[in-house]
Amino acid sequence: MGKILCATRGGEASYDTQDAAIALAKERDDELLFLFVVDTHFLDKTGRAVRPDVVAEEMGHMGEFLLAMAQERAQKHGVAADYLLRRGEFRDELKAAAREEEVGLVVLGHPAGTESAFVPSDLEAFATEIEAETGVEAVIV
Amino acid sequence: MVRRRVKKFKAQSSKLKVQIVTLLVLIVGVSQMGCLSSSLAYAAGPPTLAGCVIDSQGEPVRGAEVAAYLNDAEEPTVVGESQANGVFVLDLPEDAMDSLRVEIERPHFETTTWIAEADDLDHLRQGHTLRLPDITLKRRLTLGFWIATLTFVAILVLIALEKLHNAMAALLGVAVVLGTSFVGGAIRPDLFIFDFERAIEYVNFDVIFLVMGMMIVIGVIEETGIFQWLAYQAYRLSGGRAWLLVVILMIITAVASALLDNVTTMLLMTPMTIQIALAVGINPLSLLMPEVLASNVGGISTLIGTPTNILIGSYADISFDDFLVNLTPGVLLALVALIVYVLIAYRHQLLTRGGGLSEALLERLKESGRITQPQKLTKAGIVFVVMLIFFVIGERIHLVPAVTAILGAVAMLMWVAPDIEEMLKVVDWTTLMFFIALFILVGAIQEVGLISFIATGIKALVGENLSVALLVLIWAGAILSGVIANIPFTAAMLPVVGFLTRTVPGAGSKVLFYGLSVGSALGGNSSLIGASANLVTAGIAERAGYPITYKNFIKVGLPAMIVTVLAGTLWLFIRF
Repeated sequence: MGKILCATRGGEASYDTQDAAIALAKERDDELLFLFVVDTHFLDKTGRAVRPDVVAEEMGHMGEFLLAMAQERAQKHGVAADYLLRRGEFRDELKAAAREEEVGLVVLGHPAGTESAFVPSDLEAFATEIEAETGVEAVIV
Repeated sequence: MVRRRVKKFKAQSSKLKVQIVTLLVLIVGVSQMGCLSSSLAYAAGPPTLAGCVIDSQGEPVRGAEVAAYLNDAEEPTVVGESQANGVFVLDLPEDAMDSLRVEIERPHFETTTWIAEADDLDHLRQGHTLRLPDITLKRRLTLGFWIATLTFVAILVLIALEKLHNAMAALLGVAVVLGTSFVGGAIRPDLFIFDFERAIEYVNFDVIFLVMGMMIVIGVIEETGIFQWLAYQAYRLSGGRAWLLVVILMIITAVASALLDNVTTMLLMTPMTIQIALAVGINPLSLLMPEVLASNVGGISTLIGTPTNILIGSYADISFDDFLVNLTPGVLLALVALIVYVLIAYRHQLLTRGGGLSEALLERLKESGRITQPQKLTKAGIVFVVMLIFFVIGERIHLVPAVTAILGAVAMLMWVAPDIEEMLKVVDWTTLMFFIALFILVGAIQEVGLISFIATGIKALVGENLSVALLVLIWAGAILSGVIANIPFTAAMLPVVGFLTRTVPGAGSKVLFYGLSVGSALGGNSSLIGASANLVTAGIAERAGYPITYKNFIKVGLPAMIVTVLAGTLWLFIRF
């Protein structure tokens, strides 16, 4: 049984990606691993007192909640799913997770309007980058 | 012989004492009079020249070089400097005095000359003190003016566009103005803005220490899980009714923002709110937007709620009590108006009940809403309550808020969280540097006269009409705060409002400062970049898959701003 890595956030825009990853996992009889990356870089330009460690912890709780929701959605479709929370810059953490978890496939969500973290050309380039650096196949759904 | 010498000495000594006492009385008298009298005054003693230097707004000018030229000398005979109250005193030599010319010079002002007339010279020759009429210096636009002004504008743009960290942008500005002064000023005097000592004088350390103290206090409290617990309690109390949930969350956020800090409040409430929204089955933005709007409103109800209030309170000597009496009721009115607006704007999204989350997820939510450090919270709560009491009664016992904050911070460090290295990490030195740099930048534009020009322009616009002045300040502040960072905007406006307070009849109640508070803070609700709390909330929401775009924020925020500013305006007109 292989493993599919699917980076996700919350929100309806992520449900399409999650559903596609669930369908792929079911088809391949693979286990699904959802990934949420806690990225607090947006605090860098804030001109006010904040503690990145405290914020990261709270965002971690939130991330785990969103991952648990994704896990339940997968389990409802009879797909074995686990989740992984990492902290840092999204691209780096996704590639590191792909390597460390020895996944067979990385699933990236197609941009949904203005809500995606990527534009289409960026996403294709990122998929190529993942394949080149990790040796793991990356698909855009 | 000895007896005669002693007698002569005693007589001379007595005469000297009289002269010194007379001079002291004169100096005290002139300083107490300020610069109001325009008539000449005379007193016995060595020939002394005294006067007062003011600018075109009637404000005392400090640091003006006053040079007296006796008998058409090429070089000045005596040189002095005007003090903080604009007063100068020059002791003239007891030489023959045929003519006297006084030149007053200060960077960014035109040199002004006063020439003594015959009567004046006679009085001086008799050893009297001559009190000059107030000397008004006219502003002069220099290259330094343009450098300082353009630098300040550039910094505001850099901050608004997020091209640089706020502190970095402000420090860059300081480097430009001081570099121009020291390097450029040596080559071309017109480039001089101010020297380092003068720059530091503009730094308000009351504000720095108050902010620092509150950072430590908040840093201890935020670790206890109290924000998350409050959010969870709101969920429990609402029983899954979204409309009730949003009202409770807005009240909690407003109160927390009033007492602590609205950015911290939103940073800690936002992740929990997102989870609660999913539990209730609504889009998290239906809760987050009202919360952040409420946080910006609640923040202005106390002295310590927002940095803009801290700046205003320190500059205008407005105490914690004064804010409670004069602004808090207005904030409550604005909050009620905001709640009504939110319930109408989000009526479709909020008419829902229940979310259908699994037991496991609900249990996870409950776990997230736990108080993680109850003992620490109890101790921190006691210290915080005592601090609040001292904030309230502080004015009566001459205890400034900065000292209360520092005492509270020390109590937190000694009793609640004794790991000082860990706790000092909670002090955001970057933010403190931002404040220091900002004070220097605002000081630079004050030195070169930009603030004076703005103040004169606004005074010409509002005339003697207090109502017009108040409306202009509130609404201009509200509109500009949507595009300009409100902390530098407020810092720059303080001297302007100070001038208007002194010159517009009826403004002595400091209502214009309250107007500035209302406009600059509530204006932050009009756009995503209007307040730091908006940006951090959007940052977390985006990472959770619920982005708040600039356009979407304005659609909700702009009407909210109008509603709340209207309520605040109404209150100020009723109160004052």
